[in-house]
Amino acid sequence: MDALEMATGTFGAVEERGKRLLQRVESEERAQQRIEQRNTTLGRLAFGAAMLLAWELASGRLLDQFFVSKPSHIAAALWAMLIKEALLYHLRYTVTEALVGYAIGAGAGLVLGFALARSNFVYRIVEPFIVAFYGIPRIALAPLFILWFGIGITSKIAVAAVMVFFIVFINTIAGIRSAPVQFLQVARVMGASEWDLVRKVIFPAATPFIIAALQITVPQAMIGAIVGEFISSNRGVGHLISRAAGFLDTPGLFAGIFALLVVVLLMNQGITTLGNHLMRWNPKHGTVRDVP
Amino acid sequence: MDRGAAIEIRDVFKVFVARGDRHQRRAFLALRDVSLTIPSGRFVSFVGPSGCGKSTLLNMMAGLVRPTDGEVQYKGLSVDGINTDVGYITQDDNLLPWRTLQENVEVALEFRGVPADQRRERAARYIAMVGLSGFEHHYPHELSGGMRKRTALIRTLIYEPSVVLMDEPFGPLDAQTRVILQDELLRLWEGSGKTIVFVTHDLVEAIALSDEIALFSRAPGTIKRVYQVPLGRPRDVFHIHADPGFPEFYDRLWRDLKEEIVDVVLEAT
Ligand SMILES: Nc1ncnc2c1ncn2[C@@H]1O[C@H](COP(=O)(O)OP(=O)(O)OP(=O)(O)O)[C@@H](O)[C@H]1O
Ligand SMILES: [Mg+2]
Repeated sequence: MDALEMATGTFGAVEERGKRLLQRVESEERAQQRIEQRNTTLGRLAFGAAMLLAWELASGRLLDQFFVSKPSHIAAALWAMLIKEALLYHLRYTVTEALVGYAIGAGAGLVLGFALARSNFVYRIVEPFIVAFYGIPRIALAPLFILWFGIGITSKIAVAAVMVFFIVFINTIAGIRSAPVQFLQVARVMGASEWDLVRKVIFPAATPFIIAALQITVPQAMIGAIVGEFISSNRGVGHLISRAAGFLDTPGLFAGIFALLVVVLLMNQGITTLGNHLMRWNPKHGTVRDVP
Repeated sequence: MDRGAAIEIRDVFKVFVARGDRHQRRAFLALRDVSLTIPSGRFVSFVGPSGCGKSTLLNMMAGLVRPTDGEVQYKGLSVDGINTDVGYITQDDNLLPWRTLQENVEVALEFRGVPADQRRERAARYIAMVGLSGFEHHYPHELSGGMRKRTALIRTLIYEPSVVLMDEPFGPLDAQTRVILQDELLRLWEGSGKTIVFVTHDLVEAIALSDEIALFSRAPGTIKRVYQVPLGRPRDVFHIHADPGFPEFYDRLWRDLKEEIVDVVLEAT
């Protein structure tokens, strides 16, 4: 506050102005967020609608309808599947296979990752083996699993789990190894137990890696389940799709694919919400501001 | 005040192994015959050329590194394993990016099993002491460099270790923030009876803060000399240059340190 402000009594006014500015920026920020969110939703709807419309119009004119079908027919096929072929019944199988496989693969990847990465010696021994296994095209194991576990649900769960396991496992190890070593030392001096370190330092440091792996592997689990069903099955959406293909029924084929798409989107949304919550601290994670 | 030894370093040698030519393993001497007594309740600074082993010696006091030969005693007992009795503030503030300021300040109390309500109350007190009230829920990336340093400082002081090891804690700060933090540190420390071991490259800082200064020779480090700082207390760090004892002592310290640095430069050319 300078002499002029004192003399004219404008100091209080300046304070007042500062406060009002704070309030204004706060409410503007909130409004901005709401608008951004609404525009994103609208944008998505518009984009999706435009794609479907383009498809609908192009099909039969620019493209052979036999191969690409068209959205209106697919919608009808979806509806028919839902009613006549008990789409939900098949979907339940596929989703169960993918989810259980995902849970087993991700759980095992996390636990083993933590167990291994904490011991340098063990890690050094097994590392080349992990890399070698990782290099196997995992989907090629599907026939083997069907041989082992039969054509029931177990073999598909196994395929889905293998698809997920390695990615989560390797990312968990990378995440753990990214923990701040210097802080680990200081934390020990502060009196941290091994369990404290895992829970409060190592795990949070690894979350960006783990969440990324959990996101990438959602569709992988679905691929595992579907391919398992393709190879041999009498139920599941994969079975529906391969049967539709057998009847040269493109609308049915696309209808099956759409049903899967919705499931994968929902699963992904769940993981993203979890990730956003766990990583609310990460400056890189929030919205990337458009650079003006 | 207790004038027994907080830390006693006896004939310590440290050998490290590193990669030499063609990646062969090569052993080299980092510390050579270091002996030093750090009396309880004193503020002792380490100055010396880069790479002379100051941080290594702090690591030994914290039990993170073992001497290859000789012994480091803490309050009469040989340091064997992690020394959870000391507080350690490293050059890097390494606050946990996923914790807010307050959660960072509370972390040591969590490790030590202090109940949540006591943690909160103590954290609030320390946060207020260094003028950070209002920023409790900011994440480290939302704090300025000086605020992060303050947070790192109280994160350690909060559990009231009787010996605090500080490794160039104000290193990367601008000159003004540095002096302000030095002043805050002195106010937190004076009358607390705590022992502080403080590493710095800034001779003015060492003189302004310390009771004693240990000057290290260049690597392999050994202690060349220990000085008693001829200034009274309480100190005014903002006008430390004006203290009558300052200029002469500064000159002497600088001359002695220069011998260690200049030789290195000459040898290198
Ligand atoms: N873990 C380690 N392994 C191998 N060498 C090390 C290790 N820690 C330190 N050294 C070596 O020991 C010597 C002393 O290092 P130290 O970090 O103690 O120096 P310093 O006096 O703290 O230097 P500065 O003032 O630059 O921080 C250096 O040559 C360094 O390379
Ligand atoms: Mg150092």
